[in-house]
Amino acid sequence: MKLKKITALGMALVMAASLAACGGKSPDASGGGAAANDTSDAGDASAGDTADAGDASEEQPQVAPGAKGTIEFWTVFTGADGTSMQAMIDAYNATNPDYTVNHRAMEANDLYLKMPLAIQSGEDVPDVCINHVERVPLFQEQGFLVDYNNYLEGSAISSANYNPKAWEMTELAGGHYGIPLDVHSYALYVNMDLYEKYGNGVMDDGVLTWDEVNSVADACVADEIMPIGMAWLRVKFLASYAQMGGTLSTDGNTPDFNNETAIQVLDNWVKLREAGYTQKEGDDPWQLFLAGKVMFCPEGIWMYNNVKEAGLNAKIFDYPVFDAGTKGNWTSSHQFVLPKNDNRDDEKTKAVLDFIDFMGNNSLEWAKAGQCPAHVSIKEVAEFKDMPQAFLADENEELKIYDYKYYGYAVESLDTVLGEVLWGRMTPEEALNQAVQETKDKIEMSE
Amino acid sequence: MTKVSAAKSAAKRKKQLVPYFFIAPHLLLFLIFFLIPMFYGIYASFTKWDLFGSPQWVGLKNYATIFTNQESTFYRQFWNGLKNTVIFVLICVPFQILIPLTIAILLDKRPKGRNIFQGIFYMPTLFSITSVTLTWLFIFNRSLGLFNHLFGTDVNWYGEQPYAWMTIVITTLWWGLGGNLIIYVAALSGIDRSILEAAALDGASGLKKFWHIIIPSIKFPLTYTIIISIISQFNIYGQPLMITGGGPNESTYVLLMYIRNLAFGTGKSVAGMASAMSTCLGLLIGVVSVFQLILMNRKED
Repeated sequence: MKLKKITALGMALVMAASLAACGGKSPDASGGGAAANDTSDAGDASAGDTADAGDASEEQPQVAPGAKGTIEFWTVFTGADGTSMQAMIDAYNATNPDYTVNHRAMEANDLYLKMPLAIQSGEDVPDVCINHVERVPLFQEQGFLVDYNNYLEGSAISSANYNPKAWEMTELAGGHYGIPLDVHSYALYVNMDLYEKYGNGVMDDGVLTWDEVNSVADACVADEIMPIGMAWLRVKFLASYAQMGGTLSTDGNTPDFNNETAIQVLDNWVKLREAGYTQKEGDDPWQLFLAGKVMFCPEGIWMYNNVKEAGLNAKIFDYPVFDAGTKGNWTSSHQFVLPKNDNRDDEKTKAVLDFIDFMGNNSLEWAKAGQCPAHVSIKEVAEFKDMPQAFLADENEELKIYDYKYYGYAVESLDTVLGEVLWGRMTPEEALNQAVQETKDKIEMSE
Repeated sequence: MTKVSAAKSAAKRKKQLVPYFFIAPHLLLFLIFFLIPMFYGIYASFTKWDLFGSPQWVGLKNYATIFTNQESTFYRQFWNGLKNTVIFVLICVPFQILIPLTIAILLDKRPKGRNIFQGIFYMPTLFSITSVTLTWLFIFNRSLGLFNHLFGTDVNWYGEQPYAWMTIVITTLWWGLGGNLIIYVAALSGIDRSILEAAALDGASGLKKFWHIIIPSIKFPLTYTIIISIISQFNIYGQPLMITGGGPNESTYVLLMYIRNLAFGTGKSVAGMASAMSTCLGLLIGVVSVFQLILMNRKED
């Protein structure tokens, strides 16, 4: 009898344990799924590196605290860029600061969920986070972020040290809410070997117009070379649209990007597709570009390491334009933000600013990861001058950064329709109207 | 007399307690991770909520939008998502029953290497949906993929219908084959051989044996797998997300993708509306399952 009872109890325990194990497993599984979505995230620079995101996000490196403690630093760098970031942080920690920096990398989507939750609960709030610049306006409005202006005086950080455009985008509601780490633009890659053969000197003035694309395209097509690749349509739309002065919302609230300018951008795509100047649906133009079968291929500057690995003779230029006078590249920026936390004293906040300043002054490593650092000191580094993205460091108005509060809604709605326009299943008007409607409806639901 | 019966009933009560020990862990986890979140989700569906602030009660407004406001994006998304989900269930579930059942019957004939085959068929089930879809993405890639290369076709597998659905369904079938298969194999091996032999002696054909002996004998596992398959396919998400991204023209955009985007998208969360949609989906799945259970019970009587 007793034996039976013991066995029963034992089995119940085993079952409990095995069930608990099942419960523990499920978050992992869903995490794997989430990794796949990441390309849809706002300006995620590490879009190409999401493959090993799963492992990186699990890691919780611990550094020995400095004399006064540690700074908890959350970033979205889970791929190869995470290694570069860690190297920079290690360099900082090697200077024996009062507060050593503990780096925690996680999926961008996770960070944008965990950061607000931590701030609201007031527990385990990170001391400094990396946010994509598009995220900052909404977080600021929701009251999650601390105004840097309270601390800039007496700190080495000042607007003069940073790319003006990247700095200006986080000037919000009379305060300053982000210090830029970098600017990362979506630019144009040109296969120089193919260009020699088919280019007809159209890049001589350093900028490619859509008319020029059309003028050289037939020669390429005749030799089964694709003139131009069209992928990641969201940023292509946003780049051209911004070049022509378009905005997602005129008053900063109501979306109104269903207008003539936007239609003109999309009409141009339809023409390219109809003429057979771009890839067939289902093909990945970047893979074809790396295989040397595409002459012009717009992509993010952070993808340059792919080109290097493929041994391709390619250069980076500004994104194609309608009019040679209106250059413009869709750009995002990784920004250091200060999450609100009543338990962080001023001394620690000052230490955080020192850390941010150090990162700005020692950003060559970040440039090697394919980014364009936002701190001016990088322009003095000889090694950086030879990098293909160096020209972006001098650009200002050409960097088209969107600061629409509801950018997230707008780009999500654009993502579902832009492909349909390119492949001729929706007219530009239909697509833009649907996208604007969707954005409006979501705004209404969230207010 | 009373003493004896009292002692008996005490013993009985003691015995009755033991089963609860067995179900207690599961019940507890069920409560914490399923029942409470479920009720909270239903509550959230009557609110406007961004996941961070406190939910703001709006009554039936979310449901009214989904069901009546034809102008609204949410109306369009809900009905389009539901339609696509139902289409997927209708295409996928019959194959998900028939293919494993056929294989199970073949395996039941005890061919050489039966266990190896069973292992091979079961293996994909062990992989995560991410790696399964990646495999099939490579196979169906338009210009670099195995399929088009092998057969000299130029099919745009993810971007055109009906290929987009075919790709999703094939991936799902390959992934989920093993689960139903082992249930059928087990059920088939439980059938009393003597009945089959007797039927054969009486001159029953293979098909007759299948309809009149095999199917009735495995009726219970069969119904179970049908219900489970339908429930799991109603919850389809990963395959269309990774393979087609919902295209072409949102024709493979399933309901859970919309729900997920609303609740955990790039912008501020629209969790109230997302909860309303998932409550509807949950109700639908519940109704379908209950209907099937009733049907099964009636046949039994």
